[in-house]
Amino acid sequence: MIPSTATAPATKVVGPAPKRRRRRTNPTAAILLILLAVVMLAPFIWTALSVTKPTDVAFANPPVLSGYTPTLEAFKNLWETTYFAEYLVNTAVVAVISTVVALVLGIPAAYALSRFPGYVSAILLLLALVFRSLPRFAVVLPMYDISRALGIYDTNFALAAALVAINQPFSIWLLRNFFAEIPKELDEAAMIDGCTRWGTLRRIMIPLMRPGILTAGVFVFLFAFQEYLTALVLTDTASKTVPVFITTQLGQTLPMLQQAGAAAMLLTLPVIAISFIAQKYLVAGLSDGSVKG
Amino acid sequence: MRRREFASFIGPSLLVMVGLLVLPLIRTVQWSFQEVNYGQAGTFIGLSNYTQALGDPRFGRAVFFTLLLTAIVTALILVVGYLVAIGVNGLGKLRPYILGSMLVAYVLPGVVGAVSFSWLFNSNFGGVLNLVIERLTGQELLWFTDTWPNRVMIIAHTVWHLLPFSVLMILAGLQGVPKELREAARIDGANALKMHLWVIIPTMRGIIGFVCLITIMDVLRTFDSLIPLSPQADAIGNESIMFYVFDNAFRDGSQQLGLGSAVNVLSILLILICLFPFIRDLLKEAKAKA
Repeated sequence: MIPSTATAPATKVVGPAPKRRRRRTNPTAAILLILLAVVMLAPFIWTALSVTKPTDVAFANPPVLSGYTPTLEAFKNLWETTYFAEYLVNTAVVAVISTVVALVLGIPAAYALSRFPGYVSAILLLLALVFRSLPRFAVVLPMYDISRALGIYDTNFALAAALVAINQPFSIWLLRNFFAEIPKELDEAAMIDGCTRWGTLRRIMIPLMRPGILTAGVFVFLFAFQEYLTALVLTDTASKTVPVFITTQLGQTLPMLQQAGAAAMLLTLPVIAISFIAQKYLVAGLSDGSVKG
Repeated sequence: MRRREFASFIGPSLLVMVGLLVLPLIRTVQWSFQEVNYGQAGTFIGLSNYTQALGDPRFGRAVFFTLLLTAIVTALILVVGYLVAIGVNGLGKLRPYILGSMLVAYVLPGVVGAVSFSWLFNSNFGGVLNLVIERLTGQELLWFTDTWPNRVMIIAHTVWHLLPFSVLMILAGLQGVPKELREAARIDGANALKMHLWVIIPTMRGIIGFVCLITIMDVLRTFDSLIPLSPQADAIGNESIMFYVFDNAFRDGSQQLGLGSAVNVLSILLILICLFPFIRDLLKEAKAKA
């Protein structure tokens, strides 16, 4: 069961340590891992198949696996018979606005906090964790009440504001860890040369921090783009987002179900594209950011 | 950094967090002691909401199911995540492809993943896994209306969704295990199993603890995935705590906001208890650094 790979040739090593020996992949482990990768992708592939079948065989039982002509009819239907385009615009607008605002608010805060000793990091991590693990409804239901009272319920603005706040502790914590790696001497040098604190941030820190800012940005964007619960509570029809739309299509007719699948694909493709382009940053954010914390 | 500068840097962000996180939380706590509806002033009713929740068998079932799911999923995530990370660590050229396809499962929007999963199992929608399992075991399992098959499906989905995070974290942790330590253990005659149990895992205690914590937190607030995966969650006892709150405090017709808020407060307490060992360590560390 246990793929004994990484440390495999444990018994052979005697004498001087080998010079960074090239790892030889254990074939059993490789096959198991390839299978695992297929399993991980399977739900996505299955949905992709279902939405490119003609509607009459898309959900046939037993499933029809061949002998049909793939079609993009479901996507066409989705586009023509629902308000999908609007929902997609809502989702994108909310994600972009909340990401930009989260960074504009978070960068100065993270910078200021990074210039304080290490225990600040620990406390920040604590706050980020506590707020990350809160039952979302504990903040979202009051937000619903407040947004109704203010007349901003079901607007992109209300949803974006909520997402900025919800993601703020995490963004600050991530950014702060990246800022902390930039030596303080750089600030001092810049300020001796006549920069103000804001000038230092703008001219020196932000350009140096580009990878860190990208990492935080990608995370916040992905969170916002796929957020379901908050959007479910804070939107109705006007600013409905794609994840909410997908679930409202479930339990309806088969063509509508297929449209949900098509919408799911269209929501997912940009996410996958971003995560592949930004894989380096995502992995860095997950590992470096959290481990060093 | 001068005080005024510090305030101007922190201020805007702090304002947003106080206004949109702290104040709503305070409101939730207030509501939990009130009989209240959206848009109206509530009347104070003491602990009634709490006693109502704690006396509600449906709430009991939701708590039981949520804790069960959390325990099983966390155990699986740690064990499987560790084994996969070890495997991936030994890979050569294949590594980025395996990691890339795992990343897809992680970044896939939660709702999308759950919908896809439900289709894999649903005989009404030409699912393929239910068919394969039926052929293999010779019996037809009711994946959506029978308690345990439904649980297995929910567990499988949750593990599928959260596994990549644990693999990536543990993989990062493995890079930090000093080579000398492994060499030393090897010279002392440790076999692979002993090496993992006594050398590598103890060195990565911190990261494994962190993965464990994040997984617990994520599973405790399971909500999105149940909408496609368990349409009759309440009836078959597979309702999560969050789902219970949603149903009572928001869904049309049942707006027991006070009750929902009381459950929210109770879950916050539960979460703080789970976080406690971690909080204690962090504060200790903070003191040491200060």
